[in-house]
Amino acid sequence: MNAAVEFQSVSRHFGTVRAVDRVDLSIAEGSFFAMLGPSGSGKTTCLRLISGFEKPTAGAIRIFGEDMGDVPPNRRHVNTVFQDYALFPHMNVRDNVAYGLMVKGVDRRARHGKAEEMLALVKLDGFGDRKPAQLSGGQRQRVALARALVNEPRVLLLDEPLGALDLKLREAMQDELKTLQQRLGITFVFVTHDQGEALSMADRVAVFNEGRIAQVGTPSEVYDRPATRFVADFVGSSNVLSPDLTRAFGGPARWASLRPESIRLTDGAGARASGRVTALRYLGSGTRVALEAGGQEIAVLVPSGGAVPGVGEVAGLAWDAAALHLMEEA
Amino acid sequence: MESAHPARGQADRLTGVFWRRPKLLTALLIAPPLLWLGVVYVGSLAALLLQSFYSIDEFSGVVVREFTLKTYAELLIPSNYDVILRTVAMAAAVTVASVVLAFPVAFFAARYARGRWKAVFYLGIMLPLWSSYLVKVYAWKLILAKEGIITWAAEGIGAGSILNAVLAIPVIGGNSLSTSYIGTFLVFVYVWLPYMILPMQAALERVPTSMLEASADLGAGGLRTLRSVILPLALPGIVAGSIFTFSLTLGDYIIPQIVGSSRFFIGQAVYSLQGTAGNIPLAAAFAVVPIVIMLVYLTIARKMGAFDAL
Repeated sequence: MNAAVEFQSVSRHFGTVRAVDRVDLSIAEGSFFAMLGPSGSGKTTCLRLISGFEKPTAGAIRIFGEDMGDVPPNRRHVNTVFQDYALFPHMNVRDNVAYGLMVKGVDRRARHGKAEEMLALVKLDGFGDRKPAQLSGGQRQRVALARALVNEPRVLLLDEPLGALDLKLREAMQDELKTLQQRLGITFVFVTHDQGEALSMADRVAVFNEGRIAQVGTPSEVYDRPATRFVADFVGSSNVLSPDLTRAFGGPARWASLRPESIRLTDGAGARASGRVTALRYLGSGTRVALEAGGQEIAVLVPSGGAVPGVGEVAGLAWDAAALHLMEEA
Repeated sequence: MESAHPARGQADRLTGVFWRRPKLLTALLIAPPLLWLGVVYVGSLAALLLQSFYSIDEFSGVVVREFTLKTYAELLIPSNYDVILRTVAMAAAVTVASVVLAFPVAFFAARYARGRWKAVFYLGIMLPLWSSYLVKVYAWKLILAKEGIITWAAEGIGAGSILNAVLAIPVIGGNSLSTSYIGTFLVFVYVWLPYMILPMQAALERVPTSMLEASADLGAGGLRTLRSVILPLALPGIVAGSIFTFSLTLGDYIIPQIVGSSRFFIGQAVYSLQGTAGNIPLAAAFAVVPIVIMLVYLTIARKMGAFDAL
């Protein structure tokens, strides 16, 4: 399959800050690709390099094989859903959505028809006459989506599009975005700092750290087999074991990741280690138990209904040998 | 038993009163400016309006305090009507020129200038406002005079014939720049330009960068973005600035007196009518003209949606 977007050793430096540092990347056509990372990790800069609002300091970017070296944003066949939506406040919803067509010179009747079609696609039929200020956050988000899709881009870029929505709405939009992507079959590149969002929506996830990609893979690869300590910790807050502790826990002397939900608390039988409970955090669906074991804090997720020890008690820790995932990098 | 609250002084008691009755504090704070606006400002405007409905007895030169529209009718006789037309045309020209000149400056300041450059910008715009208005106008008279630097420079680079050609244009031309409408226009633009730049810059600064990026993202080039996004969003600032340049030009009587032809502008007409001529009613009627023009202008601006984005 063709690569929709390709980065070849791309860097973007701002003075001495290396926002993006020698990134190689290939995004397959028709995939839902998530760029995941904490703020300042370079994921948004990467997105802006694709849209053309940033120019690479070094390296080459290709979109469908075409070098973007001297192609300005308005000549690229990609469209963006902006984090703040960036709807034009002086235009009504219909004109906002039709803007891309107006720029192309499509006549009023045709572009308004197409805009209504797009509004129906995002379930906002009948909202055409309203101004953006009269819409809720979720509705604005949909308008931004319709506006970005009206030009039928081959790649849609989404910059933390769900960040400003409340939890319920965010979950509903996650499902809708996923469905929409599958229906339209175009490539979605999605920037987020929310690992749950990235894991649940994307076909492939790139985890960013300090301007570089720490790992690229399917959601389950990234979650189950984190390549680095950073990935293990950032994606799903795994227990990162130092080489000493890994050995004490029955593994080789290497860095390892042990997911809180893969550990069971026992009262001795089958325990591979033991620890003293230091804190409890009730999460609703379960309880996160923090224990002190081998000089390090180990988190264990006890599902709802399981026995939770009290603070100060000693508990045994058990896990399947396969749950201890060794990492290549220190 | 000791109270949980410490003993209260007078100031504390007053705070308590204001806390219980917040409207009282608002009323106290708003009263002095409201009195000033209501009595001194609106009051004198009302007095002015009233005067314009009086007339002057042609033989005795005494003001007749009876309601009449005769004075307003006098505005329509050609010599007075010309004054109004001339002033409005000048104000419009000055405003348009200010918009054109101010936009690039304001755009640069709002979008590109940061830190030190921003300070340089503000200083550059404000500095002329710190020096005396009269000094600046007289300085311009010297600059524009026949023996001034512009004539000298134009002749130096062999453009003297161009300058003469410009001065030969009927109506706006003249003997020299300092005695022509062109000169008056140049000085007006110079003096009022900061009043256009500042509100424009404030309006442009409020346009988020993502808005411009969204426009480019959807395929728009620079000109299309300027026309469809930047200008509509900057319109409230442009209108605010044009209110300054337009109304200040409408009312000014010093610049056209020092630089320009000897023909009157509204301000000069008012000045001479209330002084030597002693025709207060006609002076008042003249003074009402800019007010009416501004009201009409603002109504049109509102109809065009200039304040929708506010």
